[in-house]
Amino acid sequence: MSTLKIKSLIVIALCAWLTLGSVAPAALGQKKTAPVEATPPPVREEFKFGKVDLEMLEQVNLLDRRFERDGMVLEDEATNAYLFKIGHGLIPAGLTLENVTWKFRVLRDPQPNAFALPNGSIYVTTGLMSLIDNESELAAIIAHELTHVMRRHTYEQNRSNRKKFLTMNVMAAVGAYAPGGIVGAAIQVVTAIAPFIIIATMFGYSRDLEREADLKGIDMMISAEYPPEEMVSVMKLLDRDIEGENIRLFYNDHPALQERINYLSSYLGARADKVTPQMELNREKAAYFRAMEPMMRHDVQLQINAGRFRSAVYIAQRLVDFHPDSENLFWLAEAYRTLGPRATQLTEKELTNGAKKDAAKKQEKRTDEEIERELLATFAGQENWKGHQQKSEELYRSALATDKPVAVAHRGLGMLYEKLDRKIEALAEYEKYLELAPAATDHERIQRRIENLRRTPQ
Amino acid sequence: MTSPASFAYSKYRKPFIVFIAAMLLALAPAVARAQFLHPKVAKKETTIRNIIILPAKVNVVRDSMKGPEGMAAESEDVSGRVEKAVSAILEKQKNVKTLNTPGAAGEGDAQQRYSIADFQTKFDDLLPRIMKKRSDVKKGRFTIGDEVLNLNLDKSVDAIVFIRAQGQKLTGGKTAFVMLVGGAPAYLKMQIGMIDAHTGEVLLYTDPMFAGDPTTAVDRLRKALEQGFKKLPAASVQ
Repeated sequence: MSTLKIKSLIVIALCAWLTLGSVAPAALGQKKTAPVEATPPPVREEFKFGKVDLEMLEQVNLLDRRFERDGMVLEDEATNAYLFKIGHGLIPAGLTLENVTWKFRVLRDPQPNAFALPNGSIYVTTGLMSLIDNESELAAIIAHELTHVMRRHTYEQNRSNRKKFLTMNVMAAVGAYAPGGIVGAAIQVVTAIAPFIIIATMFGYSRDLEREADLKGIDMMISAEYPPEEMVSVMKLLDRDIEGENIRLFYNDHPALQERINYLSSYLGARADKVTPQMELNREKAAYFRAMEPMMRHDVQLQINAGRFRSAVYIAQRLVDFHPDSENLFWLAEAYRTLGPRATQLTEKELTNGAKKDAAKKQEKRTDEEIERELLATFAGQENWKGHQQKSEELYRSALATDKPVAVAHRGLGMLYEKLDRKIEALAEYEKYLELAPAATDHERIQRRIENLRRTPQ
Repeated sequence: MTSPASFAYSKYRKPFIVFIAAMLLALAPAVARAQFLHPKVAKKETTIRNIIILPAKVNVVRDSMKGPEGMAAESEDVSGRVEKAVSAILEKQKNVKTLNTPGAAGEGDAQQRYSIADFQTKFDDLLPRIMKKRSDVKKGRFTIGDEVLNLNLDKSVDAIVFIRAQGQKLTGGKTAFVMLVGGAPAYLKMQIGMIDAHTGEVLLYTDPMFAGDPTTAVDRLRKALEQGFKKLPAASVQ
C-alpha cells in the first residue's frame, strides 16, 4: 500500500473516531439520563467545579447585575415576594449548593419565557406570568427551572458543547487539507456532514435535560403540595400561539409538546391521584389574579410597546373578566385601540408554519405603521378597525364611569379621536387629561399634540 | 518547481487564498460602511448641537477552538469606550456636545430605569427594519414615535444616540485555525442610530466596523467612528 493511501486511511479513521467519540456518548446518554419511571437524585452530588465552570459562573453573575442595571427586572416588592415564597417552598429543606444563591425575579419581557442561570437566579417573564392561571402553574415553571440549577445542567451542557465545537473545528481543518482523489472526496463528505450530526446531538442533549427538568419538577411539586398535573397544563399553555410566532424548526432544544405530555402523563400515573386540601388551594385562580393584577397591567403596556397587540387584548380581557369595574377597563381599551385594523385572533391558515414564516419576514421589512396602513386598505382591516375603535371608546367611557376613574382614559380617548380625525374632541380629551394629571410623565408629549391640533385647521 | 498553472489546481491553493484573505482582513484599517442621513439633516434644516448617549449595548465574545465564550466584563469596558469615543469625535469634529443621560447606568428610580429600558427595546425592535433597508433613512421612513418626549429630557437636547455592537476576539489557537482554514477574524461591528429627541425620527444611521481585537484596538475604533460620522454636518460654534 502506498504511503499516500495509508495517510488517507489514517485521516478517515481519525474523522470517524472524532465524530463517533463526540456523538456516541451523547446519543447513548439520552437513554441513561431520563428514563420515565426513575429520575436521578435532585442534586448532582458528584459535580466538581472546574476552571471552565467558574469562568461561566463569573459571566452569569455579571449578566444578573446587567439585567438589574438595565431596568429589565421588575422592581415590585409584592410580586417578587410572591415568587420568592413559591421558589423557597419548592427547594428541598436544608439544601445548600456550592456557588448557588437562590434569587427569584420577574423579567420585564412580554415574550412568554422562563430560564435559570446556574448561579441560582430564576427568571420568569411578565409575558409568561400573565398567561398562567394559578400558583400551581407558576410553581411548575419554577420547579422545572430549579432542576436545571440543582442538576447543574448549564455547566454540563457547556462542557459537552465545548467538546463538540472542538470536534467540529478539527474536522473542518482535516476537510480543508484533504488530499485529492476518491479518498479526499470521501473525507470532505464526512467532514461536511459531521457538523450537522454534532449539532443534532447538541439539541438532543438539550432535550434530554429539559425532560429531566420536567420529571424532577413533578417530584418537587408533589413534595411542596402543588397538584403535579398542572405541569401538563403549563406545557399546553406554552404551546398557545397568540401572535403566530412559534415557528417549528428542524431541530428544537425542547421536546415537542405531545412528546412532553406523553412522558409526563406516563410519569404522573398514580402520583396524580393523591390530592391534599393545600393542593386545591394552590389551584385557586382568584388568589393568583389578586396577587398578580398590577404585574399583569404592567405587562399589557409591555405587550403594546412590543407590537404584540393580540396578546395585549388577551391579557387585558383576562384582567377585566377577573375584576371588571376597575382600571382594567382602561387597559382593555388601550389594547383594542392599538390593535387597530388587525384581527383579534389569527385564522388557522395564518397559524400554519409557512404562513408564520411569511409573516415574520414581512414583519422584518415593514414597520407597525406600514402594516397598519396596508391592512386599512382592505375591507377586513377597515371592519376590524371600526369594531375595535367602537369597543375601545366604550371601554374608555366605562373606565371613566367606575368608582376610581383613571385620568389616562382621557388621554386614550384623545389619541383615539385624533386618529379618527375628530380634532375638537381629541383636544378636549387631551386638555382634560392634563388638567387631571398635571404632573404626568407624558405631559410634554400631550402638550405637543395639543399644540399640533390647534395649529391644524379643524 | 511548481508552475502557476499547476498551483491553480494544487491542494495548497484553497488554504493559500484563505490565508491571504485572513491576513488582508487582519491588517486592514478601520472599515466604515455607509452612513445615512434623514433629509432634514442632509438639507441642514435640523442641526444637531446637543445629544445624549444611551448606554451602549455591546456583546463581545472570545472565540476559541471550543466555541464562543462570553466576555461580560470586557463587553462592559468596550461599551464605555465606544460611548466615550462617539462623544469625543462628535465634539471635536462636529461641535456636538454630549449632555448627561438621566437614569442611565442604573441610577435614578425604577420608573426612570424602565423608561430608558423601554426606549432601548424600541430601538432594538426598529433596528432589524433599518438594517434591512438602510437607505430608507434618507427618505425619513423610520421613527420610534413621539413617546420619546416621555423621557422628559432637557429642551436643548436635539438627538438621542443608540449604540449597538457585536464583536469577537480570537484565542491563539483559533487565530492559527482562521489563518490555516479560514473563518471570521477578530472584529467589532457597530450599529449607531441618532433619534430626534422631539419627534422620534431616525436622523442618522451608520454601521462602522473594524477588523482587530475589539478589547484593545482603540485607534481602529476611533478611525472607524470618525469615518462613520463623516457625512454628519457640523454644528456651528455658538
